[in-house]
Amino acid sequence: MGKFTKEMVDDLADKLLIGLTEEENKMVLDEFEIIDKTIDMINEIDGIKNIEPMTHALDDFEFVLREDIAKESISVEDALRNAGATEGREIEVPKVVD
Amino acid sequence: MKKQIAVIGLEMHCELKSNSKVFSGAKNSYSETPNVNISAIDMAFPGTLPVVNKKCIKDALKISLALNCKQPEYMYFDRKNYYYPDLPKGYQITQMDSPVGVDGKIEIEVNDKLVPIYIHDVHLEEDTASLDHYFDTSTIDYNRAGVPLLELVTEPCMHTAEEAVAFLEHIINVYKYLDVSDADTKKGQVRCDVNVSIMDEDSEDFGTKVEVKNVNSLGGVFNTINYEIKRQTELKEAGRYNEVEQETRRWDEETQSTIRMRSKVDAIDYKYFVEPNLPKFKISNEWLKEIKLEIPKLHLERKYNYINNYGLSSYDAGVLVKDKVISDYFEECIDLGIDAKTSANWITTQILGYINNNDINISDLYLTPKRLKDLTDSVNKGDISSKQAKEIFNKVIEEKKEVKDFITKDNAQISDRTELEIIIDEILSNNTSQIEEYKNGKTNLFDYFVGQVMKNTRGKANPVLTKEILTDRLNG
Amino acid sequence: MNKSIKELHELLINNEITSEELIKESLEKSEIVQEKYNAFVTICHDAKSSAITDELISGIPFGVKDNFSTKGVLSTGSSNTLNNYVPFFNATVIERLFNKGAVMVNKTVLDEFGMGGTGTTGHTGTVLNPWDKTRMCAGSSAGSACAVAAGVYPYALGSDTGDSIRKPAAYCGIVGYKPTYGMLSRYGLFPFASSMDHVGVLSRSVEDAAIVVDAMKGIDENDMTTWDSSHINLTESLTGDVKCKKLFYIKELCDINNYDNPSDELKLHLENFNKTLELCKDLGVEVKEESVDQKVLNAIDSVYVVLSCAEATSNMSNLTGIIFGPRGNSTNITEMMKEHRTKGFSPLIKRRFVIGSYVLQSENQDRYFKNAQKLRRLIVDIMKKFFKEYDGLILPVGTGPAKTLVGEADKLDNNTSALDEHLQIGNFGGFPSITIPNGFVNNLPVGVNITGNCYDDANVLNIAYALESKMSYKGQIAKEVK
Repeated sequence: MGKFTKEMVDDLADKLLIGLTEEENKMVLDEFEIIDKTIDMINEIDGIKNIEPMTHALDDFEFVLREDIAKESISVEDALRNAGATEGREIEVPKVVD
Repeated sequence: MKKQIAVIGLEMHCELKSNSKVFSGAKNSYSETPNVNISAIDMAFPGTLPVVNKKCIKDALKISLALNCKQPEYMYFDRKNYYYPDLPKGYQITQMDSPVGVDGKIEIEVNDKLVPIYIHDVHLEEDTASLDHYFDTSTIDYNRAGVPLLELVTEPCMHTAEEAVAFLEHIINVYKYLDVSDADTKKGQVRCDVNVSIMDEDSEDFGTKVEVKNVNSLGGVFNTINYEIKRQTELKEAGRYNEVEQETRRWDEETQSTIRMRSKVDAIDYKYFVEPNLPKFKISNEWLKEIKLEIPKLHLERKYNYINNYGLSSYDAGVLVKDKVISDYFEECIDLGIDAKTSANWITTQILGYINNNDINISDLYLTPKRLKDLTDSVNKGDISSKQAKEIFNKVIEEKKEVKDFITKDNAQISDRTELEIIIDEILSNNTSQIEEYKNGKTNLFDYFVGQVMKNTRGKANPVLTKEILTDRLNG
Repeated sequence: MNKSIKELHELLINNEITSEELIKESLEKSEIVQEKYNAFVTICHDAKSSAITDELISGIPFGVKDNFSTKGVLSTGSSNTLNNYVPFFNATVIERLFNKGAVMVNKTVLDEFGMGGTGTTGHTGTVLNPWDKTRMCAGSSAGSACAVAAGVYPYALGSDTGDSIRKPAAYCGIVGYKPTYGMLSRYGLFPFASSMDHVGVLSRSVEDAAIVVDAMKGIDENDMTTWDSSHINLTESLTGDVKCKKLFYIKELCDINNYDNPSDELKLHLENFNKTLELCKDLGVEVKEESVDQKVLNAIDSVYVVLSCAEATSNMSNLTGIIFGPRGNSTNITEMMKEHRTKGFSPLIKRRFVIGSYVLQSENQDRYFKNAQKLRRLIVDIMKKFFKEYDGLILPVGTGPAKTLVGEADKLDNNTSALDEHLQIGNFGGFPSITIPNGFVNNLPVGVNITGNCYDDANVLNIAYALESKMSYKGQIAKEVK
């Protein structure tokens, strides 16, 4: 076990606002090891360095930018219907402090 | 301790004008009522997708061009990932890899001197929702979520608070000239992050950079910079420069000081990556050319043109270019053939006075450049006096009539020699004793006769002609 | 309900059956299938019939994977983070089907947000295979595959990010088709990995798949990645004439000698595949073997995991319980969000988020994320080169029939066979890709896949259509064999 540690995994999870059990943490570590090995393998592939990263499934079609026309707002009822807490026309949450 | 110089960089966020938001069709408009201008994507309902507004791209490119930046061949967007209750998607769509402009350079005026400012990049992004805070709760209004924001990042190339504020004022004016933003600091449309460090004057090594976030007024920027320079310098003088940390602070209006938020160690990794829902698209040279044609001459260029080619004072030129519509009015006057200084005088005194007092826009002023030309022509021809011109100025506006309407009826000077001779002869025949006295050497009575003619004609007698006829009659 | 769309349409316009009757039958079958296989999150008991028009799908029931936004109907993504979410808008594809008179009768179970290939991670539990309840349907469109195979309706919508339509279709003995990326709008589809997410359909015949996609496709102003396909009519393209078409398969994946200790199932599966190749030749299709670097093939799954996890961790950052979804109880806003996410997501998803987050960290991006993006392009370029010469790639789906439900599911495994993961190539390149049933191994259905070049959907579907007609599995309904 080298560069992947339990603490690192917990820290990553914490920043994602999720908690992991010990078991889950261990599974992530195992998966990291596998991915890491595959990445080493990828690095051995000829010419990989000079390839442009592919970010979209298609990059060969013409698409149209949206014209600047404003549409009617969604209703405040629709906007708030699924929220756990509301106050007037707004969603309410526990106080946000910097 | 050696003399210290400050090194300042700015990140300026400015809301852009448009009908709809940058990635959604909701209206881009400020509203006091919460959640009236929202679409499903502004609240990140599952399955919603961003769709780019063409006007926002165009205006961002316009800014990029106006600031002499380089434009990318392909435009695309990146996600900046972080959690905050005002960011519904959990990421902000912005530009990291391929911003709308990089490596710009402009000149600004600081105390009548031109100073170069280097622009690292300008990029297009979306604004967040706004939070209101109460005792133990906060509420979220999504009207602002998705409003187009243009972020401009300078190189650390400024050295004083004055320079930084002059730069911001300059940029605000550029945006107004380009008609891409109202850049209203009072409405919170302009927000700045300020980077400040200090270094020995003769050194090449930068000091520790402190970032102050969310400074929302020009005064705040000025005070923040001076506060930070003072704070950092004092620590350095006291031999405690190691206490200046690479950190993020915020400006606190109440205490007029900066307060630590987080250190560099705790900096958020935003995990940027290319937004897959917005395809890459090529910015054609044709489009850039088209946009370039829409960029007007900016204020500084106009100012120097007015000084150098029209002989205006720096002060007057400055007043004229402060607002593009005023400057456009002035240039229309010039194009119509009104003398530059005359135009400038009329605009800086009468016209600005009138529109300021009545709180109207110059473009709504009834006295158009064409009517101003009628007025100044009449003065030049001697049809009316300057004093009369000012009265007619007000009458034209108030009664919404033409200049000539007031000249032919009421105010036309009596410039016809025969008509004036009859009037003068009549007056002289009633003043024989005074003529006697004049001829006996009381020459200052000449003015008395002029006064009588004016009185008789209610000031309409052409003064030059009057004097000519009187001299002829009295001395002949 | 066991019939094809065209057959049902005929019955409907001849008044031999009514839309009400079809819906009633479909709802009754839904209850049975739910009882037996747990395929649905919601059954729409109040589904209303619609007028029968010239539209082939009018009046006919269909199912929708629960990761599509449906107005007024619970849409959970099979996740506890959205277990009470009722959207106020329809996904574009659903809206288009509704406009043509199609009737939604249920929402089907998936692996939570599509992130899984087993049909076991949905918040309402595991979906069982209608051919054998001890086996999985595969995923993530497990419920849709199960219901179509069980004859609840002729078709159901699915989504496909790695193989989520095409694998379960094979395991359930039906057709699964995902068109070229951008032919169908993703607006209203809960995102998993946006650059690889596709909307598609599961049906019991190639023709039904074509009819449904024809009804949904077209440019959508709400999805910038859609393109104009008005010149394409898939249904009319199904002529069955495939003479002189050319297909290739990848030697490294199909040669039994390439596998150490191959299982019996794998042997039978590959033998069956070879029979299918013979059928292709009978149709006048030229079939050739091509070779691809084994290193590239072995890396496919890691590329997929790195890219999909990265996009997923970002895509699901909107799940905080603030605007929708059950709220955490904490009075601290960050803790509230954390509680929502920790309780709401299944362990599998949480692990994938951590991986996705790691590979996106600024210090790791080049090594992991960007490298994976580079390999993605390399693989796509290899395929595009082949597609210059061939009409399509033909490969067996998976390593055999449906896997059993015991054992660790969806754990990233070092020994994962490239054969199990090659369908992801179709997502890397946005290629049109269709799975059709091609026989049985140990009495359980297996499938074959044909993948072609972007925008060449009509050609790919026509080849599948011709091949389907040479076999006897078209329209087959699952019958429990165990």
